[in-house]
Parts: sequence; structure tokens; C-alpha cells
Amino acid sequence: MQLNDILLFSMRAATANRGRTLLMLLAMTIGVGSVVVLISLGDSARRYVIGEFTSLGTNLLIVLPGRSETTGGPPPLLGGTPRDLTLDDAMALSRAATVRRTAPIIAGSAPVSVGNLEREMMVLGSTSELSEIRHLDLAQGSFLPPGDPTRAQAVCVIGMKGRQELFGRQAAVGQWLRIGDRRFRVIGILASSGVSLGEDLGELVIIPVAAAQSLFNTSSLFRILVEATSPEGMEQTRHFILETIRARHQGEDDITVITQDAVLATFDRIFRALTLSVAGIGAISLVVAGIMIMNVMLVAVSNRRAEIGLLKALGASQRQIMGLFLTESAILSLTGAGIGLLLALLGMRLAAFLFPQFPLQLAPWSPVIALAVALFTGVVFGVLPAHRAAVLEPVLALARR
Amino acid sequence: MSHIQARDFFRYTINGLRAQRLRSVLTATGIAVGIGAVVLLTSLGTGLHHFVLAEFSQFGTNLIAINPGKVTTHGISGALISNVRPLTIEDGEALGRLPQVLDVVSVVQGNAEVTGGGRQRRTTVYGVGAAAPRVWNIGVATGRFLPDDPPRAARAFAVLGHKVRQELFGSTQALGMRVRIGGETFRVIGSMESKGQLLGFDIDDAVYIPTSKAMALFNQESLMEIDLLHATSSSSAAVAEQIRKVLQSRHNSEDFTITTQEKMLEVLDGVLGTLTIAVGSLGGISLLVGGVGILTIMSIAVNERTGEIGLLRALGVERSQILTLFLGEAVALAAIGGVVGLGLGIGGSRLFSLLVPALPSHTSWGYVIAAELLAILVGLVAGVLPARRAAGLHPVEALRAE
Amino acid sequence: MIQLQHIERVFQVGDEEVHALSDVTMSAESGEYIAIMGPSGSGKSSLLNILGLLDRPDGGSYELDGLRVSGLNEKEQARIRRHKIGFVFQFFHLVPRLTAFDNIALPLKLSGMTREERQTRVTAALSAFGLGNRAQHRPDQLSGGQRQRVAIARATIMQPSLILADEPTGNLDRHAGVEVAEILEELNHQGITLIMVTHDPDLGRRAHRRILMVDGRIDHDSSRTRT
Ligand SMILES: Nc1ncnc2c1ncn2[C@@H]1O[C@H](COP(=O)(O)OP(=O)(O)OP(=O)(O)O)[C@@H](O)[C@H]1O
Ligand SMILES: [Mg+2]
Repeated sequence: MQLNDILLFSMRAATANRGRTLLMLLAMTIGVGSVVVLISLGDSARRYVIGEFTSLGTNLLIVLPGRSETTGGPPPLLGGTPRDLTLDDAMALSRAATVRRTAPIIAGSAPVSVGNLEREMMVLGSTSELSEIRHLDLAQGSFLPPGDPTRAQAVCVIGMKGRQELFGRQAAVGQWLRIGDRRFRVIGILASSGVSLGEDLGELVIIPVAAAQSLFNTSSLFRILVEATSPEGMEQTRHFILETIRARHQGEDDITVITQDAVLATFDRIFRALTLSVAGIGAISLVVAGIMIMNVMLVAVSNRRAEIGLLKALGASQRQIMGLFLTESAILSLTGAGIGLLLALLGMRLAAFLFPQFPLQLAPWSPVIALAVALFTGVVFGVLPAHRAAVLEPVLALARR
Repeated sequence: MSHIQARDFFRYTINGLRAQRLRSVLTATGIAVGIGAVVLLTSLGTGLHHFVLAEFSQFGTNLIAINPGKVTTHGISGALISNVRPLTIEDGEALGRLPQVLDVVSVVQGNAEVTGGGRQRRTTVYGVGAAAPRVWNIGVATGRFLPDDPPRAARAFAVLGHKVRQELFGSTQALGMRVRIGGETFRVIGSMESKGQLLGFDIDDAVYIPTSKAMALFNQESLMEIDLLHATSSSSAAVAEQIRKVLQSRHNSEDFTITTQEKMLEVLDGVLGTLTIAVGSLGGISLLVGGVGILTIMSIAVNERTGEIGLLRALGVERSQILTLFLGEAVALAAIGGVVGLGLGIGGSRLFSLLVPALPSHTSWGYVIAAELLAILVGLVAGVLPARRAAGLHPVEALRAE
Repeated sequence: MIQLQHIERVFQVGDEEVHALSDVTMSAESGEYIAIMGPSGSGKSSLLNILGLLDRPDGGSYELDGLRVSGLNEKEQARIRRHKIGFVFQFFHLVPRLTAFDNIALPLKLSGMTREERQTRVTAALSAFGLGNRAQHRPDQLSGGQRQRVAIARATIMQPSLILADEPTGNLDRHAGVEVAEILEELNHQGITLIMVTHDPDLGRRAHRRILMVDGRIDHDSSRTRT
């Protein structure tokens, strides 16, 4: 039998019983569709988080005070240390060839007021380089001016939301506001609003690091951001940072350096595992769909005994009969997979339309996975019915209807 | 006007299913896999739910935490790092004078190197007061905990967490020994029982020193947190309101955040419950496919048994009885599949607990019963269409079909 | 007991109307033995279906035991079928997965009879029809004649007052056919009205009254010619 004859024959068989075929397609569609949607959602979430993290900067290293000895445990994200990470430490780090920029950061919360309006806001003390490291865009005005970081200029850059709440419709740039008991002149407004890794840029106030030191009455930095010149220089820079700080801290290892790519790799791993598990849960439905295809094919075989007997009487071999039935289940599962894929694509499009803030799209390799899995399901669960058909005794098959 | 007896009805249904044994088994298997998935996933979800709640509620539901700064829309407040309006030890003392408050701990946390017994270890240092073991529900293993010194003039005593004690002193005596933390010497007066991990944080890897000493050590003016226990006779919300009043009058503004354990447990409970349902409904997709399976097989059965339906009608069976008969078959398929699925799911979650003891699983009967009811519902819904078709068949047509 | 007035039955086949029955008027007394005969397609089965309340006429009225049954709803018609009418078909229509015993017990189950009662009645019926040792056999393990005897046993187990048989011997050899006819006649002797469609002239001659159908009409009724 020629291939196109086989295809035609199986196709006819599959479409002869329309209601039944549609139901099988429906089952396969649900299975494949849900797997593809789940994979795509997981993949979109992964890309969203990775994207957020990448947008923090490129070739970024984060230095934080304190160190935890339990390997694999969380780094000391909060809390003080006996020896501060100082502005001088930060300045010392900028002196390496593999370091492009550094930005010291002091963080805290303070009441910010204009006239009678007061709001508790997140205050960041840093330097002009923060803008380049974090790719911050300004809607208006300019960022902190470059220059000696130890000079406490009374200027600030505020987020969009803070601007709106404190100044309303009035112009903000050039105006004065009060942070704690100090006065600052607004010189710029941050353009990007939204959440970047837990920091709401819209509710941020950025002031020179020296000003933050006196505002919060502390000499200790919360973080130092270091940008390496190239991805290859990251490891070297890490060593340099550890060496430099150790030398400056009387030989004590009391900082933690987190490299961006290490964090990225961790996130990547976590999200891939998550995507896989969710897709695995979805794939259970494919198994159920497979069982169903097997079931219906078995029914088809027993209903078509006479036909099979006739084929055998006409000289069809067991292999050919087996091939016919396997082709039928493969056609069914592939068609179902195709429809499922299409629905998943539409679903993701719709989701992307409804939630434009997230990069929702079909995972690029999901069509391959869906088709492969569907074909696999169809063939595996098609084997038993096909085998039954193949070994039917022609006399028996013809004898009863 | 007699009605077919329930037992006979049941027999006839089962007979119909048994006649096509393989077919029925496969159809029920589809439902079984679906229900199994739902039960297993909800068991894992519920297990996680219970585990997390147990971790948190070991502190008791009458715990209230106060942090500096007003928590804004999301995440932690920057005030935990630095702030211009500190939360002070005196604030803690003032709260301790509230009649409903049993115990208060003023907490400062940091990371420092601890040297002692000829060894050193970087660890978490907690500045706390005498009430910490009661408030945090941790036990002293040897010696005693920090004494109830005047907060601003506390003596330089230290209590070691289980792990730090092991790392620094091994099996030798630690009591009475001296440890250096960031340039100051402390005398070890006790060590704590092992508590293990709490949500990924190793709370044995810690040293407890008086709050004021820790504030000096870390050069901080503000506490990071005040934890207090209130009498169980008054509600958390009422006590929280009292605390708010006291602090507001001391600070002249609301620059702090009060978190009651009760509220936190409530939120956590909600989140974890939703998670369980979400994961369970992912498993429910398979159940949906299983339902399509029943629909298909029942349609086929109605087709094949057209002659039988005609005969039954000729014998005086009413339309509604035919409907019930086929619905009964669909429901029986689903229910049997459901029961097998329950077995699969419960067995699976047991196995899971055996293989991965760290991940608890807990089969809640509520979900089990809900899953079985769901299976029956699936059978009912999937059976309606074929059963209606069977009932709607014209008896003459049905008889001619054979 | 039966009163048919101007019964019409029209089938729409494509654009064409097929008058399976047109203006059929007849009556039958209780205990009669009627053979309906006629060429293929003349409307014999259609008439029997209407008599058995399996089908509704498009026109005319039907009275059974003084009750206008053509106007009854589905549920009431089912009840009448269950209690008053027994069917015997050319192709037996036994449920293939049930044993002879269970096939016969089916109407009893449907009417809600208890197991004990059923047991005695079905066992009696089995031996009455010479099937005593075939109780646990499925239809595919029985001969054609045996199958038809099971079918008749099933049709009579509820003690109906009317038996409708559509070519009950059509699928049987001569010997088995005569046997089945004798069984049905024996039932008729006991007072059950018997209406039988048949192509077999010999069988037709055995009936007390013969109705000849042609083209959906009653062409000849022996009772009418006699009177
Ligand atoms: N469901 C139907 N749809 C269309 N036409 C029908 C239907 N049932 C019966 N007929 C037509 O009605 C007419 C009478 O049919 P019926 O079955 O009563 O004939 P019959 O006398 O029993 O024939 P036979 O001896 O072959 O059994 C025939 O022309 C047949 O084609
Ligand atoms: Mg006929």
C-alpha cells in the first residue's frame, strides 16, 4: 500500500465517525493546549524576571556588608555589622582596570514633605554613576551631578509618583522639599516608573550619598554596586573586590559579593524547574487523552472487524493493518495537537493583550514539544488497538458483524 | 405504577459496564488519573500549607511585631535599614507597661565575627532582652538566658546558638568562657537548644547579646523590631490598637508598622489555600479530559445499544428511565474511576512523603470528598448528552437499527 | 378491545411522502387470533407499531380497552406497554450480554418486582417454554428457535392481554417456526389476543382472522367478508 493510500484510508476511517473523532480531537486539544499554555506562562515569567534583573545593569556586582558561613544559606541582606562598609571602601573599588563604575548606596526611609504635605518615602543616597549603572532615565531635569562623593550637596532626584503626590500639577524641578529636617532642591524627575526588583522607582528619592550619611547619621553603606568592564572581567573583579576590602579591613573577610550572572543563573534554574513541574502537571492530561484515544481506537477495531477481515482476505499483511491503525491514531493526535497549539497561541495573544505590562508570548520551542509529545502519545496509546486489529483471525472477523 | 428497584437498576448498570470490560476500565482509568492528580497535588499543597502554618504558629498567635517605618505599597520598608525616626528601647519599655502585654523583646540584628575557644565564625548576632526565649519559644539547653538587666546598662553576657556553640567550643565546656564580638568581650552564660531551620534560615547559627550592646556594636540608633506577647484574654487587634496609641503619642506620627501574628497567619492561610486550589485545578485539566473520555464512550455505547434501547422502550420503559440508566452508567464509571484515583492520589502522596521527607504532604478529607464529588459531577455532566440522546431515540427507529 | 379509526401514518422521505398507512380502520375483540399479511412494504409493521404504542399515528384515533390511548403521554403509554402488551420480533431482540434467564426477567425488573418473586416466575416460564436447562446461556449460545422462545417468554412474563408478533417465524426453519406458532397459539387459547404479521400462507391459514394489507390500506379482512 502506498503512503498516500494509507493516509487516505486512515483519514476516511477517522472522519467516518465524526462525533467521536471530534471528541478525541477535543481531548487532545485540551491536553496539548494546556501544556503549551503552562510552558509559555512559565517561560514568560522567567523572561520577565531575568529581564528585570538584567535591566538593573550589565556586568553588575553587588557588595553587601556581612558574610554568612552556612554555604547555600541566604546572604545577610539586612542588619548591621561591627565594621562599616564605607564611602572610602567604595572609592577604593573604582581604582581597578576591570571596574568601569561604582556606586555606593545608603538606603533608608524618611518623611519627605513639601509645605504641609508629608509622605514617608524610600531615600537612596548615591552618586552620579548610579544613573548609568542602573540605566535610569530622567523625565525632566538632570541626575545627581558628578564630583566628589564626600560633598553633601542639597539636591535630589524624585520618582514620578512622589512628584505627583508632593507637587501635584505644579512644576517640581527647581523647587525645594524637606527630607527629615534638611532641605533639598529637586533637580530631576525619574522617568521610568514601575517596580524594579522590589523598589518602586516612582516612590524613590535619590540624594547625594554624603547627604544621606548625615541624614541617617551613619557612615555605613547598605550596598556598593560595581560595574565590570566586560563579562569576562567579572570573576577577576570579584577577586579584586574581596582582596581590596580584606586589605582595608585588617585582613577580615566581612563582605559578601553577589555577581549578577550568578543570581541570573539561579533565577533561570528556579524558573525552568518551576516551568517543567507545571508543564508536567499539565502533561497528566495528555496521558488521560492518550488513554482515551486508545479506548476509542479499541472500539473502532471491534466495530470494524468485518472490514479488517475483508482487508485480510484481500491479502493485507499484519504489518499493513497495524500501520493503518497507527496512522489513524497519529493523524488524530497530531490534528488535536495542531488545534491545541493554535488555541494556546490565541490564548497567549489574548493574555498579552490584557496584561501588556508582562512579556507574555508562546514559548519558542513549545510547538516542537507539543507536536512531539502528541505524536508520542498517539503512537504509544495506538499500539495496543493496532495490534489487536493486526492479529484478528480473518474468518472470525468476517463471521460476526 | 411500580418503579424499578434500585438494586436491579444498579445491577443492570454494572452489567452494562462489565460487558465492555476493557473499555470501562480504560474510561475509568482516565478519571482515576485525573482524580489521582488532583488528590496528590492538593495533598502536597495542603502539606505545605500545614507545614508553613506550623512553622509560624509555633510562636503562638498572641505575638505582635512592631517595625520602624510605615510599610508602603509593597515589600519591606527602607526604615529597616536606616531611618530618621528610630524605634527605641524606651518604646519597647513603654509597650511593656501596657496591662495586656506579657513580655517584650527589643530586637537588633546584624552580622559579625565571633571569636572564642580559639576559633572564629561569622554569624548572625541578635541584640535581645531577657524575654526572648519566652516570646520566640526557644529553649535554653545549658546555663541560663540573658538576665533582666536595666536595658541601657546591660552586662556583657552572651548566649550561644546551638551551631555556634558547636563550631566554637565543640564538646568542651562553653559556659563561663569568653567570646569576642566586634572588639568587645562577652562572657558566655548559656547556650540554646537546637531549633533547626525556620523557612530556610538557620536559627541555630546565632549569638544572643543584650540589645544595647548590639546597638553599639552595629552603630545603630534604631531597633529593627519589637516583638511582644500579649495575654490571650484580649484580642490581637485590640492590643495592636493600644500599641498604636502608645507609640503615636511617643512619636507624634505613625512611623511604625504593627504586624499581628494572627493577621499574618490569616494572610498566609489565605495565600497557601489559594495556592493549593490553583495547583489542584491544574490537575483538574486531566479530569476535564477524562470527562470528554466518558462522553465519548457513552456516545459510542448509545450508538451500539440502539437496538437494546428500542427493546427496553417496547417493554414499557419510560424515557426518563432510559435517561437515568445511561446517566447511571456514566456516573458509575466516574465514581469507580474516582475511588481508584483517590487510592492513587493518597498512595502517591504517602510515597512522596517517604521519598522526600522534607516536603510534607497531608491528605485532607475535605479535598478527598470534594474530589470524589467532582468525579461524580464530571460523570453526570459527561453523561447528560449521550443519555439524552438515548432517551430521545424513537422506539421504532431504535428497533429497526438492529 | 382494539378500535382503530381512520389511522394515517405518513413518512417524509426527501421530497416524497410515503403513506405507510392510509385510512386504516379496524377493530379486534379480546382473545382474537389475527394474521396480518401482505406484500413487503405494505405497512404491516407500521400497523403493528401503532397497535403496540411504539409509534404515534399522524391521524385517526386508537382505543385500547375503552381508553383513547392515542392521546396519552409518553409515560402513560410506556405503562400500558409494560403491563398490557407483549412484543415478539423477527430478529428476537434479545440483549446479547444477558442470559436467557435475565432476558426473560427484564420486564419484571422494570416493573420493580422483587428477586424472589422473579425467580419463581422466570423459572416457571423457562420450563414452560422448554428452556429449563438453558437458563444461564447467553443468546449467542442458543439456536434461533430457542432464542425466539426466550423472546416469547419475555413477552408473556408480564401476562399481557395482547401479544404483537412481527414475523416471529421469519428467521426460523420450518420445524422451529411451527413450534413457535404452536406456542403462540397455546397462549391465544388461554385468552390472550394475538396479532401476528407473517408472510407464510400456511401460518396465515392457522389464524382465525386474516387481514390483507396492500399499499398501506386494508385490502381484505376475513372477518368482514364473513359478516
Ligand atoms: N422510518 C421510516 N422512514 C421512511 N419510510 C418508512 C419508515 N418506516 C417505514 N417506512 C415505509 O413505510 C412503508 C411501510 O413499511 P413497513 O415496514 O410497515 O412494511 P412491511 O409491510 O412491514 O414490509 P416487510 O414485509 O418488508 O416487513 C414502506 O414503504 C416503508 O418504506
Ligand atoms: Mg415489516
